[in-house]
Amino acid sequence: MITQKHILEVKNIKKHFQVGRPSIFGQDARRVHAVDGVNFHMYRGDVLALVGESGCGKTTLSMLLMGLEESTDGQIFFEGNDITRATRAERKRLSQRIQMVFQDPYESLNPTQSIEEIVSEPLVIHKLAKDPIERRLRVVNALEDSGLKPAADYLKRYPHELSGGQRQRVVIASALVLEPVLLVADEPVSMLDVSIRAEIINLLADLRRKRELTVIFITHDLGTVGYFADRVAVMYLGRIVEIGNTLDVLKNPKHPYTKALLSVIPVPNPRLRKKREILQGETPNPINIPTGCRFHPRCPVAIEACKISDPAFIEVERAHDAACLLLVK
Amino acid sequence: MTIQAASELLDTKTVASPTSFANFWNEFSKNKMAVVGLSMLLVMIVAALLSPILASHDIFTSEGITSADVYQAPSAEHWFGTDDAGKDVYSSFLYGAGVSLIVGFFAAFISIVIGGVIGIVSGFYGGRVEASLMRFTDVMMVIPDLPLMVVIIALTKPSLFNIILVIGLLGWTTTARIVRSQTLSVKSHKFVLRARAIGGGNPHIIRHHILPLVLPLMVVQAVLVISTAIINESTLSFLGLGDPTTASWGQMLYFAFQRGAMSAGATWALAVPGFGILWVVLGLTLFGQGLEQVLNPKLGSHHLMAGRPIVKSEAGKSADVLLDVQELSIHYIDNENKAPARAVEKVSFTLKEGELIGLVGESGCGKTTLMLGLLRLLPEAGQIVGGHVYFAGNDLMAMSESQIADVRWKDISIVFQGAMNALNPVRTVGDQIAEAIIKHIPEFPKENINARVLQLLDLVGINAQQKDNYPHEYSGGMRQRAMIAMALACNPRVIIADEPTTALDVMIQAQILELLDDLRKKLKLAIIFVTHDLGIVAEICDSVLVMYGGVTAEYANVDTIYNAPKHPYTQELLKAFPDLTIPEKKLTSIPGYPPKLNNLPAGCRFAPRCPLAFARCHTEQPALHSLKNGDLHLASCHLLEESK
Repeated sequence: MITQKHILEVKNIKKHFQVGRPSIFGQDARRVHAVDGVNFHMYRGDVLALVGESGCGKTTLSMLLMGLEESTDGQIFFEGNDITRATRAERKRLSQRIQMVFQDPYESLNPTQSIEEIVSEPLVIHKLAKDPIERRLRVVNALEDSGLKPAADYLKRYPHELSGGQRQRVVIASALVLEPVLLVADEPVSMLDVSIRAEIINLLADLRRKRELTVIFITHDLGTVGYFADRVAVMYLGRIVEIGNTLDVLKNPKHPYTKALLSVIPVPNPRLRKKREILQGETPNPINIPTGCRFHPRCPVAIEACKISDPAFIEVERAHDAACLLLVK
Repeated sequence: MTIQAASELLDTKTVASPTSFANFWNEFSKNKMAVVGLSMLLVMIVAALLSPILASHDIFTSEGITSADVYQAPSAEHWFGTDDAGKDVYSSFLYGAGVSLIVGFFAAFISIVIGGVIGIVSGFYGGRVEASLMRFTDVMMVIPDLPLMVVIIALTKPSLFNIILVIGLLGWTTTARIVRSQTLSVKSHKFVLRARAIGGGNPHIIRHHILPLVLPLMVVQAVLVISTAIINESTLSFLGLGDPTTASWGQMLYFAFQRGAMSAGATWALAVPGFGILWVVLGLTLFGQGLEQVLNPKLGSHHLMAGRPIVKSEAGKSADVLLDVQELSIHYIDNENKAPARAVEKVSFTLKEGELIGLVGESGCGKTTLMLGLLRLLPEAGQIVGGHVYFAGNDLMAMSESQIADVRWKDISIVFQGAMNALNPVRTVGDQIAEAIIKHIPEFPKENINARVLQLLDLVGINAQQKDNYPHEYSGGMRQRAMIAMALACNPRVIIADEPTTALDVMIQAQILELLDDLRKKLKLAIIFVTHDLGIVAEICDSVLVMYGGVTAEYANVDTIYNAPKHPYTQELLKAFPDLTIPEKKLTSIPGYPPKLNNLPAGCRFAPRCPLAFARCHTEQPALHSLKNGDLHLASCHLLEESK
């Protein structure tokens, strides 16, 4: 059932990358299961944090949402329409509604463009606000909303003249100038210094309130999600293993992976040094997905059955789901 | 903001494109090579343009020339003598300059356009397009240009137009390859992905994001291709395949050579056009290389060198302290006229056996400079301008280069950030660890090295079977373990760990932190842990030194720093750091940015961002105050003096 209230509904989305070519003996080529059956939905104005370590598929998922990768299977309904089958022209229209903020503000700005050129580029591409005054007004508004005030001081400057925090604000402004409804923020603060991180998170929180943005906040740092996200989805090897309201997940995690992840987040208080649940080894290669529960080889509480059956996603508490056999009553 | 305000903005700020050209010109005029090259070129271009005026004789008619005029030596009448047909060499030289330059510029234009298009298209689109275009380029490259040109020109009518076309059509291969690799590197930048995300199509991306970054390279390449084209034209003409109706330098050489200039002793008939070719090619090469340096400043980057000690040894220090850093100051002196960057000023700390000290601060606060300074591994511009670093009683800053080389790695070793780049990709990890042992302890018995390598790998939790694997077969965490094994190779007593977990996932980070903590207990190692992550510091450190703008803001044991911080910077930093245990806490950021080290505020370096700053903070640097009797707690803030 797709209700109109869901602005975004992701259904069993998959992205497998082929590695090498199929062999001449008829064997299938090896596949990287980057995203392997992800389901979630979002209401308008929601902020969902997608959390996981590298290789869990969170970045590939963002590429699928942006239409920068083609899905292998599954659907993504945005405002009721399946966007995985969008044509090039539809995709271009969609890019006005869905925008992205990239991780690295040093890499994601073209050094030869001025700030004004960067922020007005989306308007140029979409042939919006053709009147130069109106165009500049929109650029100025986007910059000022992103905290670069007064905007006039920034228009003619170049990325190298700005600090990391200011550059990330430019990236945010260039996403906002199209007035999107959904913002995908891929690790927007991980390259920034601590003192600036708080500033950018607070800015995103303000913008979300002011512009009623729906935000997907992708991060590897569970420590920051509490300040911004309404809900958290924890990913492991291409799947969501736990999803729920932020405080529920942080204070009362259900899945053993979430528990381990939470236990190793450094806490800035030496009096709270605690026993860490350090998982040994590393996330398995997404080419050979383990049988049964994909977390079982590293799981500290795995039982024999975990090697065989792939656990279903079940609602453990109200609006708090996890996929673990031990949670099945 | 109103429409009116916006239109005002539009009026006042719509200045012609910004300072980039002025910047370029400024850099360019400083580059001697580029300026000399361009001047040489301009002289020749002006001479060619003004040839009708500057020429002393009309070379296009044989009227009035008698056999007596042939191969006349230079004289007042004929500055550079006459040629085989009795024509004035000086005048021919001027006209020839025009022909050669025209061939050079047009042929280069053709080949740059072809090479540029093929390079950008194959680099940008990749896949089959790239494969076929690049194979085509390879084939074209393998065919020797000159013989092919000779064959084509011999088969067609040797006109100037044909010569330009042939040289242009055969000379694009190098350009295509260079442009392709530049396109590939530009394409991998995130701003290209961003342009796609905002809905930009391929033509838009090529025009606005690829071309502006590939163009400077093409300009440099064009300059170099012009000189090749001029040489090619001269060669073809010299072989008798030039346009007989023009008088290029190559034609001059051809006729002089064919008609016995050598045997007639008329060296001027050969030397003058030869000099012209040399002059233009040299000018173009200098100009091209200079231009490349201006457009690609990375070519002239510095490399690491040991800084020179400028302080003399004093007395030794107390016994239980392993490392005693006393008022160490390091400045970067780039240019005698510019103010030095005061990267580290009067920083002191001590380290006991088995102690783990955290060195915390934002980027650009001098952490890494301090660490490199301890072992005198600073870049060339970095100078130790004061202070002492006593290790086991000896001042590292007063040692000779060979003495400190003996301390590096053997007594104090470093684990760098980004293990990916610090390992050699073509040698096995085991080999590289063995090399670290042999390099620093040449007398180490050969037969024991294998056992020692296995012991080190075991110490850092790497399987013995993985000894003979290459770095690319290791994951990021494993590589960092290998780096730690290398740092431990000579049983050091101090390890400097510079952001060793920064690029790692939280779980791997936890594994590495656990390993370091184990090692310091097992081996009684003292560790200096450089990081910007206040969470890690709280988890594993015994003492903490908070740096700001090159100076010590606060230095205390870990509990004091987190639970009773006295310096406003420490307090603000803690407020900005997320704490999982109190997700309802509001994060506050510190407004503004850390100071530039070559433009520091007059008073306290934190004053411009400090919420508690008062008048005195802006004019006077605070001293380091000791806050506890007995226990370690130092902070530099005027407020502490007021409250005492």
